[in-house]
Amino acid sequence: MSKAAGPDFPLRKRASHDALFPAVRQLADQLILLALLASICLFILYPMVCILWRSLQDGDGVSFAMYAHVWRKYRQSLYNSMLTATCTALLCTAFSVAAALLTATGKGWLRVLGMGLLLITMVSPPFVSSLAYIQLYGRRGWITYRVLGLSLDPYNCWGVILMQSLSFVPVNALFLMGMLTKMDQGSLLAARDLGARPKHILRDVVLPLIRPGILVCLLLSFVRSLADFGTPVIIGGRFSTIASDIYMQLMGFSDLEKASAMNMTLLLPSVAAFFLYRYLMVKTGSTSGERSQQRGLWLPLHRCGALGGILAGGGIFFFLVLVLQYICIFASGFIKRVKGVSVFTLDHLERLMRYNADTLVRSMVYALIVALAGTFFAMLFSYYVYRRKVRFGSFFDCLATLPYMLPGTCFGIGYILAFNHPPLKLTGTALIVIANMLFKQLPTTTKICTAALAQIPDAQEKAVRDLGGDKLTVIKDVILPGMRPAFLSCFAYNFSSSMTTSGAVLFLIDPGNQLAVFRLFDAVNKGEYSMAALIATFIILIVVVVEGLVYLLASRKEKAHVS
Amino acid sequence: MYLELHQLNKRFGEKEVVKDLSLELAQRDLLCILGASGCGKTTTLNLIGGFLAPDSGSILLDGQDVTALPPERRPVATVFQSYGLFPHMTVLQNVAYGLKFQGMDRAAARKKGLYYLELVGLADRAGSRIHALSGGQQQRVALARALAVEPKLCLLDEPFSNLDAALRTKMRHELKRFQEELGITMVFVTHDQEEALILADRIAVMEEGALAQLAPPEELYQNPASPSVARFLGVDELVWREDGTVLKIIKQ
Amino acid sequence: MKMKKLASLALALALGVSLVACGGGNGAQSSVSSSGTGSQSGTGSQSGTGSQSQEPQEPAAPQLSGTMKVVATNETYVTLFDEFTADTGVKVELLSMSSGDVLSKLRAEGGTPSADLWFGGGIDAFMSAKADGLLEQVTFDAAADLADDFKDAEGYWYSKGLTIVGFLLNNTLMGELSLEAPATWDDLLDPSYKGEIIMSNPAISGTNYAVVNALLQTKEDGWSYFEALNENIAQYGRRGADPMTKVTADEFAIGITYLDGTIDALLDQYDVEIVYPSDGIPWIPDGVAVFKNAENVEAAKYFVEWLFSSDENLRLLAEIDQKTSVKIIKPNLEGIELGYDPAILMKEDLSLFGAQRAEILEKFEPLMGDKAVNE
Repeated sequence: MSKAAGPDFPLRKRASHDALFPAVRQLADQLILLALLASICLFILYPMVCILWRSLQDGDGVSFAMYAHVWRKYRQSLYNSMLTATCTALLCTAFSVAAALLTATGKGWLRVLGMGLLLITMVSPPFVSSLAYIQLYGRRGWITYRVLGLSLDPYNCWGVILMQSLSFVPVNALFLMGMLTKMDQGSLLAARDLGARPKHILRDVVLPLIRPGILVCLLLSFVRSLADFGTPVIIGGRFSTIASDIYMQLMGFSDLEKASAMNMTLLLPSVAAFFLYRYLMVKTGSTSGERSQQRGLWLPLHRCGALGGILAGGGIFFFLVLVLQYICIFASGFIKRVKGVSVFTLDHLERLMRYNADTLVRSMVYALIVALAGTFFAMLFSYYVYRRKVRFGSFFDCLATLPYMLPGTCFGIGYILAFNHPPLKLTGTALIVIANMLFKQLPTTTKICTAALAQIPDAQEKAVRDLGGDKLTVIKDVILPGMRPAFLSCFAYNFSSSMTTSGAVLFLIDPGNQLAVFRLFDAVNKGEYSMAALIATFIILIVVVVEGLVYLLASRKEKAHVS
Repeated sequence: MYLELHQLNKRFGEKEVVKDLSLELAQRDLLCILGASGCGKTTTLNLIGGFLAPDSGSILLDGQDVTALPPERRPVATVFQSYGLFPHMTVLQNVAYGLKFQGMDRAAARKKGLYYLELVGLADRAGSRIHALSGGQQQRVALARALAVEPKLCLLDEPFSNLDAALRTKMRHELKRFQEELGITMVFVTHDQEEALILADRIAVMEEGALAQLAPPEELYQNPASPSVARFLGVDELVWREDGTVLKIIKQ
Repeated sequence: MKMKKLASLALALALGVSLVACGGGNGAQSSVSSSGTGSQSGTGSQSGTGSQSQEPQEPAAPQLSGTMKVVATNETYVTLFDEFTADTGVKVELLSMSSGDVLSKLRAEGGTPSADLWFGGGIDAFMSAKADGLLEQVTFDAAADLADDFKDAEGYWYSKGLTIVGFLLNNTLMGELSLEAPATWDDLLDPSYKGEIIMSNPAISGTNYAVVNALLQTKEDGWSYFEALNENIAQYGRRGADPMTKVTADEFAIGITYLDGTIDALLDQYDVEIVYPSDGIPWIPDGVAVFKNAENVEAAKYFVEWLFSSDENLRLLAEIDQKTSVKIIKPNLEGIELGYDPAILMKEDLSLFGAQRAEILEKFEPLMGDKAVNE
């Protein structure tokens, strides 16, 4: 050894470090990878295969008879689904762009208010928005009838489209906001410098720069709309989509074979949309993951001509509707009617606390487990697939995106079919619910983690190996710390999705592990609107408080690190 | 010899990146691998560091065949072009990082880390965050981190390419000083002829994955093996030190 | 304790070795329930003698333990199950779930149900489950006191009451539209009600299925009745409570809905009115059954016996349900008087409920579509 000229540093053994032999650690690394891939197969692929298999059952054999039947009988619904999804995607994206621009260009407290509203309404418990919609805009709705004196029939395809469009906006708008605030201010300044007026900047610079984001919003809204059953079930009236027909088949006929075949049929347009999404994302490159600056975007919308006016108007309209809707939800939980008059009451609260206090706690605990375990899983998975480029990585990556495209009910039924027999008997346990939420949300968390992973320089990883650390050390010392920004996003997404997930858990809940969102569903079914609204209020409250705390904790730690 | 590369080959798909590369280096010498971008010099460095496995050929270090060893088991340390410092650790934690894998206890690692920080003149920044340092300071931390593990061989991948001209000159001299004082064997990759001529005991010129010439700077300059090597060197006049190394370069 | 269990679950999941850990936790419970098996047959016969006396005496509780998992139509049954826990020591976990959800889940689980007892829900779902072999046979001596019309002859399901169906009227809307209150099913066909009637999809709602089946049984030309009715119906709600909620929300003037104490309570809250159709009231039994292969079958079987053998328990149930119809189920029940004359109930052959369900619903489905779209 080329001995340094410096003083000797004795090699005193550290008590705990590296007690494991390198071979064992190597094995552990392989085992983690194996466990990740095996989990993907077990919790995503296998349930899917079970659904597919069930859809091919034909009394006494395997056939495509069910698909032929579905195609014959539900073509109208399929058409309705496609029409609704297309319209929703367009309208929702328009609202999203408007809301994002309005918020991003807002000044001072206006921007903070817009951000706050978007963040709160991103937590959108299922069903209750549609109930609020009926209360506000129904035949005797507060706004339409009492204020405007109209008596409209809200139970049709336009009601569904409008409702879906509004409720998908917050996530999209926040995503676009991220792009807008990270936008190179230089190009805006350059455009101004070259004599462009605001309306030209909007048309020539801002909108083209966020075009990739707009495409993402279009496609994600399309897929979400296809899979959404709650809205058409509640406000569709006689109008039905494939998703609401699947719900009917499951709830009214318990026809699993037909429901499975319908789910698989619905998967086709979703998969098509998703591949288009991936293609476009690869072409434009990933943009999320960076931390956005708290800087406003200089662009006075009111001076942006007709387009600016439409966007500003759309944004204001959206926020107005959103605020009314959430006020309506919050208020409903504390109102009862006495002789036709609404009065304040704590009856619902008292009833909720008596029967369902433990349900709320359990929901929170499950959501926390999913948020932590799911984030950890997504971090490891994205590392092995995108950094280590393990064999068949892209295949597993595709598998991991599948749950996004599946209607929740389908994913839930798949879990029961897959895990109802020993040695894989998980039905009736908490694990099946937690695993279902975790893997249902994996597509999004993996995306977030992959984006963060791209920000970690390759050299850091090499440096660890070079200085004597092995692959496990790389994970511990570089990958996990480096993904700190992704942790918060993943945690928030996992937590709020777990609190509000509707489709999948409807079939996985058992006596003894009831969740708030299931109780909400049950209340909606029983017509206990006030109870449903109250549970929704609690869910929103829990999510906002828990995520606020985690955010504070994380930013305090961040500060401690910087100083 | 201390470091011996035998018949190394590496291809990525159809492309042969390193072709039949063999070279030798004596202990305490500094070898510069010089070549235009895309000539395979960084790949060679990755092969020596263990980040890539050669398709064929072997690497011997101090008499030991290290070809099959993973990076963490090779007694080799690298200073990366982008430094690869850990932003979530302090300066000292970065420098002492590799020592824990040698089984050194925390206090001793800290002491040794401080010693090397002092060596590069950054002892007063031990508790700082990486992002609080300037580019030159980060460069020194990366160097200290590599030296602290007392590697048999230190690899440097264009370490000065992110520094401004004045700083680059200063760092070159410091590096040379460390190398001589500590008696470390180094392999230095660069595309800068001037840098190679000033720093190196021996220079390996690479062209399209193959070794074009391996020689001390003086010999290389006076007797380029081929017209292309001569063109690549493209310098006019050198001022030599007494020991035969280059002191100064005068360009056209 | 619970938190600890959850935390360990999370850990297990993260490590990917969860399956073993979880299987272990579950096994403990099932072994407990099977230990009660031996003593059960003996106590069953003992309890029979107990129920003969008029004293609301419960059969001597057999050695039961563990947890009984119940899917019920309402969480308010908790007070009834608390009594059961007090008597037997069996802990009860209750989940409120609609019967369609229960049946789908049951079929998907493929004979490994994750609950033990099914408490409440339209009897059509119970019949369907029996046909699929998903229910456990329960026999006990006191079953002899229950009216034959409302229990399965082989003891696969029992009824805990009847759900009856009538009209709920929104007086404000009726006034505004100057509509006369309908008194009979035939009145609903009056063209002046067009677009003002809401009923539930009979596939979802047991009570609305009862309407369809009962009217088809009693009317000469049942299908033309529903075709005519369809002209007046605004929409078929996809949830059982839709007619009730949308009438109280001033959305529609007339709802075809179940009638029970909770609907009576609406009279104090909203300007609404209840109509018992004078040409007959459709009804559907409210089922109780034990799941086959359930983990704690013995506890669930004993619960059925415990409930029907004791007048006190049935009175408690009637109080929670806000229904008096349990008197029809068990005519010799004391302390409860039926709130209406049983003569107004329609004559229904219950056996047809299960047999005709698929056929009727299939025929009904085209009626419910979106007329505007299908044209």
